[in-house]
Amino acid sequence: MNQLHNAFTLFLSLLVEAFPFLLLGVLLSSALLLFIDERKLILTLPKNPFLAALAGSLIGFLFPVCECGNVPVARRFLMQGLPTSAAIGFLLAAPTINPIVVWSTWVAFRDQPEIVVFRVLFSLTIAITIGCIFSVQKDPTHLLQPFLAQRVSMLLSQPKWPRSSSKHSNQDVPVLLQSGTFLLNKSGTPLRLEGMADATATLPSIGSREFYRRLNIFIENVVNELRELGGMLILGSAIAASLQVFVPREIVLNLGQGTISSIMAMMLLAGVVSICSTVDSFFALSFASTFTTSSLLAFLVFGPMIDIKSVGLMLSIFRPRMIVYLFALAAQLTFILTLCHSYFF
Amino acid sequence: MTLFSKLQPARKLKFIWPGLDALAILAWGALLLRYWLNGQLKLLIHPNYFGLVLITSIILFLLGSLKGWLWFKQLRKQSIDSETVQHITLFPPGWGSSLLVITAIAGLFIPPTVFSSQVALQRGISESLPVTQIQAEAFRGTVKPEDRTLIEWIRTLNAYPEPDAYNGQKAKVTGFVVHSPILPKNYIFLSRFILTCCAVDAYPVGLPVKLEGDQKDYPPDIWLEVEAEMITETLAVDTQTMQKTPTQKRQLVLDAKSVKTIPTPADPYGYAQ
Repeated sequence: MNQLHNAFTLFLSLLVEAFPFLLLGVLLSSALLLFIDERKLILTLPKNPFLAALAGSLIGFLFPVCECGNVPVARRFLMQGLPTSAAIGFLLAAPTINPIVVWSTWVAFRDQPEIVVFRVLFSLTIAITIGCIFSVQKDPTHLLQPFLAQRVSMLLSQPKWPRSSSKHSNQDVPVLLQSGTFLLNKSGTPLRLEGMADATATLPSIGSREFYRRLNIFIENVVNELRELGGMLILGSAIAASLQVFVPREIVLNLGQGTISSIMAMMLLAGVVSICSTVDSFFALSFASTFTTSSLLAFLVFGPMIDIKSVGLMLSIFRPRMIVYLFALAAQLTFILTLCHSYFF
Repeated sequence: MTLFSKLQPARKLKFIWPGLDALAILAWGALLLRYWLNGQLKLLIHPNYFGLVLITSIILFLLGSLKGWLWFKQLRKQSIDSETVQHITLFPPGWGSSLLVITAIAGLFIPPTVFSSQVALQRGISESLPVTQIQAEAFRGTVKPEDRTLIEWIRTLNAYPEPDAYNGQKAKVTGFVVHSPILPKNYIFLSRFILTCCAVDAYPVGLPVKLEGDQKDYPPDIWLEVEAEMITETLAVDTQTMQKTPTQKRQLVLDAKSVKTIPTPADPYGYAQ
């Protein structure tokens, strides 16, 4: 009973420490989702695969979203013609390379600032590497889900970043004379496929009457994300607290002190626990006294990229084969980098 | 229930979920505010983040009220036309909010506990103290030895670990009792927890106390105020790591002159700077 009470206290402690960061992340991501024009942002990105992957990875600083929020954003990016390398860079790095995550990691590991530095460095390295690898595949349509693939191949066949110009010129031409793919909506009116993609992404322009509508959307989005991520956080914290209290210390120490076993164990845990990246450093902190620093890094780097929850979300973008590639590459690179860390530091 | 079964439960529930969301957010706002007001926050997290918790609770109250108001308006219109940015849900409807509500209510009714000797032993009172976490950030030689707290003694000892340097100094410290099988019968550990971030990383520090009687007189977990003189003893235990050492080693030990049982203090933990 006493042990249960201890576990409950640990559970609450994790939640109370993490909640402010979760709320901050959700508020910022919802606000920026409404106020940043994604299409303009995409147009300013470089075309070189390496630079595009780098830029994609750094967009996380503008979109402080954790791994649940970034999949829908990446999906919209792809629909609007973001190069695959940049999209993959964004998908893998944005959950880690963003101000809230850096701050919460620093709060948790104030006395080991190197964890913050290596977390950012390793995530960036892995995201850029994988982004570059997939940029070799010139035709990304084999990797994407059919609907997205169709949309992307259409964008590729068009001359060059034509959206902003062609959209206006097309408005005078009757629908039947326009080229492109069309769908029929319920009322039987043809809908342009590109337009549909824009429709899911664009929000009404700012106007004084729009204020309440926007506020409504903002609140809905904040509440939705808070509910989903909060639920995940509760499950994750419950697991962390029970592992700390109920698993015999000898087992944890044996596993946590081996160089390779600790990294493998923490990567497995990261994959299963699916805790949001803005608060996963507090989760890792509960293992700080028993696990090696390199394995904590492995958790912090691998968790935001691939876990059960994000695989589920990524299925809305990629074909399963592509997710297997992503998983294998991210896992191997994390393992190699953190193993290097354990030998050199 | 009959009302629900008559009136298409699925459709009715759709109206209820947003209300549950608002309730979940308000409940969490209330929980955080309560911890902040009644001082239990210091059993959970480092004081540096108290302000952050207060701000969070205020924002949650605002957000919950707004959401509740929107829900109320929606109920009166009887339409579900709220538009959202494309969002992928992970939980079945209602689950996330229910988890949040249940946890908040449990938190409101079950107060957090103060960690005991059991946790101290399990957490690795037998494990090496992370040296980086006890930096002597201000080595105050001018402080009278008897004014040092237990944690200040540990810091001082970490900065200059020669036990003989403290020989004969007076000490008056408080802490809770930990029994350890590696100590002789007339010894206990006097211990306290230190928090760096939150209760998850609380780690115990302590010094051995030499008693006049037997350790049985002072059961584990009771809080003691010990007035003692610092002496050097040779024990087969490393007080830095609290592990049995193969050879006897000179240790700084509190030689108890008077031992007083005190109630558990309101702020039982120490905090890393």
